[in-house]
Amino acid sequence: MIKNINVPGYAGITSYIQALNICRVSTNLSTTFSKFSTEGKIGVLGILCIVLMAAFAPVITHYSPQKITGDSLEAPGPAHILGTDELGMDIWSQICYGARMSLTIGLAVAFISGFGGGAIGVLAGYIGGHVDQGLMRIIDVTMSLPSFPLMIVISAFLGPSILNVIFILVLFSWAKPARIARSQALAIKKNSYITAARNYGARPFYILRKHIFPEILPVLFVLVIDISSHAIIAEAGLAFLGLGDPTSKSWGMMLNNATGFRSIYFTPYWQWWLLPPLFMLIVLLLCLAFISRDMERILDPKLKIKKGF
Amino acid sequence: MANDRNSFIFRLVITLFVILVINFFLPRMMPGDPFSTTSADMPGEDIIVMTEEQRLYYLEYYGLDRPLHEQFYTYITNLMKGDLGRSIFYRKPVSDVIILHLPWTMFIVLGSTLISTIAGVVLGTFSAKNRKKGSDRMMMTGMIAFAEIPSFLLGLVLLLVFSVHLRLFPLAGAITPFAHYSGLAEHVWDILHHAFLPVLTLTLAQLTGVYLLTRNSLITVTTKDYIRTARSKGLGERTVWTRHALRNALLPVVTRTGFMIGIMMGGVVLVESVFSYPGIGMTLRSAVIGRDYPLIQGILLVIAVSILICNLLVDKIYSKLDPRVSI
Repeated sequence: MIKNINVPGYAGITSYIQALNICRVSTNLSTTFSKFSTEGKIGVLGILCIVLMAAFAPVITHYSPQKITGDSLEAPGPAHILGTDELGMDIWSQICYGARMSLTIGLAVAFISGFGGGAIGVLAGYIGGHVDQGLMRIIDVTMSLPSFPLMIVISAFLGPSILNVIFILVLFSWAKPARIARSQALAIKKNSYITAARNYGARPFYILRKHIFPEILPVLFVLVIDISSHAIIAEAGLAFLGLGDPTSKSWGMMLNNATGFRSIYFTPYWQWWLLPPLFMLIVLLLCLAFISRDMERILDPKLKIKKGF
Repeated sequence: MANDRNSFIFRLVITLFVILVINFFLPRMMPGDPFSTTSADMPGEDIIVMTEEQRLYYLEYYGLDRPLHEQFYTYITNLMKGDLGRSIFYRKPVSDVIILHLPWTMFIVLGSTLISTIAGVVLGTFSAKNRKKGSDRMMMTGMIAFAEIPSFLLGLVLLLVFSVHLRLFPLAGAITPFAHYSGLAEHVWDILHHAFLPVLTLTLAQLTGVYLLTRNSLITVTTKDYIRTARSKGLGERTVWTRHALRNALLPVVTRTGFMIGIMMGGVVLVESVFSYPGIGMTLRSAVIGRDYPLIQGILLVIAVSILICNLLVDKIYSKLDPRVSI
């Protein structure tokens, strides 16, 4: 038992252990990274840039994205790197802070629906019987609903807020991971090592946690990336239609503001108002797509069978 | 198989029912009642305050004082009669508004489906023939990268490049307003000119799916024994590809085309908004902005029903094309 970590003798040991751990993590990461193709590497770097941009938004921008800091529709210049919008707010700040919005929504939706849906699927697959049948019916119906039109209608009624947007997106994206996790749980359940574990007296929850969930995790991770890019698209689409949270400047919201400006296409304003969010969204989605394709390729032998529906 | 088809139809019916229920309950679950929305939010405008008597009259008139299941029954029977309620903004029946705008949407959706299917099949066949060569690999990479850009962002890019920068195509609308046409040809040209970019956007958005499907299914089919048999019978390459390989490889493409129409009905809302194309998508956007709830619900219903009809049609066509299914 190490009780006093702060004693000098122990400090050296703990720091050594920490260094070892960091080393292992970094070699782990670098081996995964080296498996990626060039596209995948570009994707990872791109995402890293956007994440850094979002994380250090207050450092790399001079202005608040919500404050009027210049003249209306200033062209890009030394004071405002990307110019200002019609209210005189700095576009570069909006882009940096908007990255937070897109990433938060993408990740939140992906993790909630990916792992939540996955857990539901695994449970249903493991329990089987009526629960499983019932869940399959629900999944079938959820997947055949026209998701985007319904999202529009529901968010029009619920009113615009970040939580509502996340809720709606989760509502329409949990079904796919649930279905895949279920089919995998069904397949894994039949293995003899599960029967063996059960015969040794393992509780269902123990089997799920120790044997089934770890097997499904890699596939869920790929799905999480897919879902996050879908969520980002859907959020941008909803915001573009004017259904985003008006108090937060996401990239979709910027597109909405810019295209809503009456004579945007007849003036040069679109060059610094409309292009940056458009460009950033496309870059973000392409990066995510590259990563997801590479992950799929790396996990291929497993995924090809299990994703086949 | 019969069981499978029954469950397919059953699923469609359930889906339609779920949409109807959502449509019915969403506005009724919101706080307040419809009469409070008649108040204006601009300070200068008049706020209509109803007396309690008037309110009760309207509640009764619209049947809102009756139990929910009765309301639901009335809602369904009204729908059966084609009565979707009245639009708040347009001040006419929702069905009239939809009928006015639906043809434009049908025009670009069906047009782009047709074009993307043909182009996808042609490109996919070309790719499958040149498998593992440079041209195939380049095409694959390009197409896959394209597919990742959602249609409305692609539409914005096309709009900026071709309409704003190059000024080749109109910025908005489906026809030139107040135009006098000297003949039918000019009228058709005007419509095509306006529809070009929206159709191109939707086409590009779904091209990759058709392309990949055709390519993969052709590659699978060409390894089959009957292709070798056809070749050994001395049939020309052309006949082998078109009559033996393509015919069988296209089955999944047909299914996909049908389901794609469904997916596209979602994307078309955004694409029409980008190009201000006066279809139901654009109407939905303005209804959302104006909070015209009856119209929103009506459009959702029309979109949902058209998706279900497409799925049903695909099922029918598929069993015609592939006799094995309908046994």
